[in-house]
Amino acid sequence: MSFLQYLINGISIGAVYAIIALGYTMVYGIAKMLNFAHGDVIMVGAYASYCVTSYLGLPAIVSILVAVAVCTLLGIVIEGLAYKPLRGTPSLAVLITAIGVSYFLQNAAQLIFGSAPKNFKSIVSMKALTLFGGGLTITGEVLVTIVVCVAIMVGLTLFTSRTRMGKAMRAVSEDRAAAQLMGINVNQTISVTFAIGSALAAVAGVLLCSTVPTLMPTTGAMPGIRAFTAAVFGGIGSIPGAMLGGILLGIIETFSKAYISTQFSDAIVFSVLIIILLVKPAGLLGKQIQEKV
Amino acid sequence: MLKVEDMHVYYGAIHAIKGVSFEVGEGEIVALIGANGAGKSTILKTVSGLMHPRSGSISFCGEDITHTDAYKLLRHGLAHVPEGRRIFLQMTVQENLEMGAYINKEVSQKDLDMVFNYFPRLKERRKQIAGTLSGGEQQMLAMSRALMSHPKLMMLDEPSMGLAPLLVDQIFEIIKELHKAGTTILLVEQNARKALQIADRAYVLETGGITLAGTGAELASSDEVRKAYLGG
Repeated sequence: MSFLQYLINGISIGAVYAIIALGYTMVYGIAKMLNFAHGDVIMVGAYASYCVTSYLGLPAIVSILVAVAVCTLLGIVIEGLAYKPLRGTPSLAVLITAIGVSYFLQNAAQLIFGSAPKNFKSIVSMKALTLFGGGLTITGEVLVTIVVCVAIMVGLTLFTSRTRMGKAMRAVSEDRAAAQLMGINVNQTISVTFAIGSALAAVAGVLLCSTVPTLMPTTGAMPGIRAFTAAVFGGIGSIPGAMLGGILLGIIETFSKAYISTQFSDAIVFSVLIIILLVKPAGLLGKQIQEKV
Repeated sequence: MLKVEDMHVYYGAIHAIKGVSFEVGEGEIVALIGANGAGKSTILKTVSGLMHPRSGSISFCGEDITHTDAYKLLRHGLAHVPEGRRIFLQMTVQENLEMGAYINKEVSQKDLDMVFNYFPRLKERRKQIAGTLSGGEQQMLAMSRALMSHPKLMMLDEPSMGLAPLLVDQIFEIIKELHKAGTTILLVEQNARKALQIADRAYVLETGGITLAGTGAELASSDEVRKAYLGG
C-alpha cells in the first residue's frame, strides 16, 4: 500500500512541476528563450497569496486571484523591461539577463519579507481522504493539485488548438517571420505568452506552498530548476511533454526518496534525465521536425 | 501602387542593395529577375518590412511604408509569399489558411472556397499536417494562405523553386488567373524565361543594382538577357 501512497504523492508534486514546466515550455516555444526567472515568479505568487490571507485576512480564493493578477502583471513587466529590448541579440545575453532578473526577484523578496521562512497556510480546507482502512491517505492538497493540473492541461490544449490567439502563438513558435507576414503582432504574442506562463506560475506557487508550507525568497528556485528539467525531459516546446515530464519527475523523485536515499534524490532525478536525453535528445515528446525541401 | 526609391539595404557591413528604384503599377505583373545572390529576396523582404532599408523610401498606395513593421502591411493589402514557402509545417492545411486570414478575425467559407477553386488538391488535404505535403502542394498552400486576406499586391518569391516543369506551368497559369481576377503581382524569379513570358514589365538585378528594365517582351529578346539568363 505504501507504494500506491508514494505514487500518488509523486504525481501530486509532479503536477506542480508540470504546471511550472508549462510556463518554461511555452515561453521557450514562442520567445525561444529560457526564462530562468520563472521559478522566482512562483515565489512572488506565493508571497502575494500569503499577504492576502495572513495580513488582510481575506479568503483563500481571493488570495489565488490576487496572486495570479500580480504574477501576470509581473510577467508582462519583466518581458517588456528586461527581455524585449534584447530581442535579436544573441540568446546568451537574454539568458544572463534572465538569471539577473531571478536574483533581482529573490533579493527584492528578501528586502521586503526578510529571509526567515514564513509559515504558509494551506489554501485547501478539504479534509484528507482515507482509503483502505487507513492504508492510503490522500490529502486535500494532493487532490486539488492533480485536478488543477489536469484542468490547466486541458485548457491550454484547447486554447492552442482552437482559438485564434492560440493558433497565432503556434505560428509564431514555428516561424516568426512567416507569422509576421500573416499580420500577427509577434511582440504582443510574446507578451501574452509571458502573461499566461506567469499566471500559471502563481497557481503553482500557491499549490506548492500549500503542500510544502515554508515560504522564503528562495522557495521558487529549486522547483523552478526541477520544472525546467521536466520541460527538457518531456521535450521543450511541447505542452503535453511538459506535463508528462513534470509528473514523471515528481514520481521518480518521490520513489528515490522513499526507496533509495533522500539525500541522493536530486542526483538520481538528474541522472535519469541525462540517460533519457542520451537516448532521445529531443526529450520524450520532443518535436520530430520533418521538412521537405 | 508600389514605389521604391533609391533603396539601400545592409546586412551588417555588407551593402546588399545599392540604390534600387522600381515601380509596380496597379494591375501589372512585374518581374524581378537575376542570378542567385543578386538581392532579389532581400528587396522583397525589405518591401514587406521584415528588413528595413538604411536609406531610400518605399511607398505603397501613396502611403510611406519605409519603416512600417511587417505585421501591419498585410492590413494595407500587401502580401508576401516568401522564398522557401515558409508555411507552418506543424499545422494543418486548414490552420495555415486560417493564419492567412488572421487579420480578418474569422475565416469565411467563401474565401476557403475561393482558394480551393484555384487549388482543388488542397481541399482534399485540408486536415493534413502541412509538413507532409509535397513541394508543389506546399507552394500552392503558401499562395493560398496569402490569398486569404485578399491582397491588392502579391509578392511572390521564387514560386517555381524546386518544382517539376509541369507544376511550374501550373503555378504560372494560376498567377495569370490571379492577375486576371484583379491582383497586382510582383514576381521574383530565377526562371527568367517563365517570368518574362507573363510579365508586363521586368527588371534585371545584378549584385544589388538594377542593370536593365523594360517590358517582358523587350527583355526576353534582348541579347544581354538571352546570354545571361535564357541560355543564349
